[in-house]
Amino acid sequence: MSAAYSGLVARLFADLPLAGAPEGPGWAVGEAAEPLSGTRVRFFLKAQAGHVAAARYQVRGCPHAVAAAALAAGRLAGRPLADLDVDAAALAAEIEAPPEKLGRIFVIQDAIRAAALHLAPDGP
Amino acid sequence: MSDFIYLDYAATTPPDPRVCVAMQAVLEGPPGNASSTHAAGRAARARVEAARAEVAALIGAPPASIVFTSGATEADNLAIQGAARGNAARGRHLVSLRTEHRAVLDPLARLEREGFAVTLLKPGRDGLIDPAAVGAALTSSTTLVSVMLVNNEIGVVQDIAAIAAECRRRGVLLHVDAAQAAGRVPLDVGALDADLVSLAAHKVHGPVGVGALYVRREPRPTLVPLSYGGGQEGGLRPGTLPVHQIVGMGAAYALAHAAQHDEPARLAALTERLWAALATLPNVHRNGHPTRRAPHILSVSFEGVDGEALVYALGDVALSTGAACGAGHGEPSYVLRALGRDDALASASLRFSVGRPTTTAEVDAVAARVRAAVLRLRALAPA
Repeated sequence: MSAAYSGLVARLFADLPLAGAPEGPGWAVGEAAEPLSGTRVRFFLKAQAGHVAAARYQVRGCPHAVAAAALAAGRLAGRPLADLDVDAAALAAEIEAPPEKLGRIFVIQDAIRAAALHLAPDGP
Repeated sequence: MSDFIYLDYAATTPPDPRVCVAMQAVLEGPPGNASSTHAAGRAARARVEAARAEVAALIGAPPASIVFTSGATEADNLAIQGAARGNAARGRHLVSLRTEHRAVLDPLARLEREGFAVTLLKPGRDGLIDPAAVGAALTSSTTLVSVMLVNNEIGVVQDIAAIAAECRRRGVLLHVDAAQAAGRVPLDVGALDADLVSLAAHKVHGPVGVGALYVRREPRPTLVPLSYGGGQEGGLRPGTLPVHQIVGMGAAYALAHAAQHDEPARLAALTERLWAALATLPNVHRNGHPTRRAPHILSVSFEGVDGEALVYALGDVALSTGAACGAGHGEPSYVLRALGRDDALASASLRFSVGRPTTTAEVDAVAARVRAAVLRLRALAPA
């Protein structure tokens, strides 16, 4: 277990903004996992007029993975579909994740990419 | 009750106030090197020998069989490296378990790099090793078997006496890491029939930084010391004796000895109460044999959650994912993986361990907090 968590991790882990599976139609879903740590992430994206209208996530992982997923979800809304890639290293740096956690943050990037594959400009 | 609850007594225990008083008396008293021949030195020596007798009494051993060390890790290293090198002319094969503490596995790995052959046996899914499997692993070149009495992660108690019988038949030395056992399970070296037994003080409400190795007197196993200079402790552990630490260990073992008939039952009642509350959650698994276990350790795997996230969510509850010594590596517990738990479940496991100060109110509060945290994290996870 990592010795310390940043204040941002603490806040995001406590609040879990945008967490949970959304209801209703029109969501593109992508999932990724990393077996060794058991990290598993599912992202839900909804598009409108060529942009991300909303993003939600589910995650089973360490506090850093949870915080990174929340942070990424908050940044996706409003982004053009052509520019959905999330920089895992930048996310890890922002939440001050230790280097050994980077692999888990990449799972979030992979889940977003997997969801983006199913996106059409006005919904999947 | 404050929000902070400590349920990590398998990692370390707070020194008993009576231990602190005994140590303070040494620290504030006149100086004296226990090897000096003047009056102050002789007084220090008397304190050391009194503590040696207290440690020996708990394990049913003669005081002269106790060698003080810096802790159980050093005792494990002295036993394993010392016995392997001291008996290398007879053979260079060593046997142990995959579920041993790193203080055993790492010296074995070191010896392997020096050319010794090491066999690490896999226990059953209940964490117990069949003594016959140990016997079957012995060869004509085996010189040492090392098996812990109480597993530090899951708390199972190995059948050391039966393993000793297998070793005896083949003339093989037996080392037992008993760091988690003292004061929690019966620990009579005569009944165990072990040649070498490692002990710690800080697991039994004594100070960190001191431990001991029991070395059988007759027949006395050949050990090569890890260091040289001074000849203290029969030449096996040279260096000026830390009298205050040793006195603290003696006091802690005396207290454990006095409480050994009542305290284990009280600890067992606490862990069973905790398990009963946690078992009402769906998809939770108790790790290790259900009855052959030490009273103070409860290992539980929770499906669908991450162990680190669970510990974090519990806030001011101090407990471990796996062993404290292995936490921080970011990998699932090798002990639970050896028992057949998959990576996801092994990484979603908590070790609760209770101690002398633990109350039923604390156990109930932890159970409630764990239940709430598990349900919250499961709701967050993908189905």
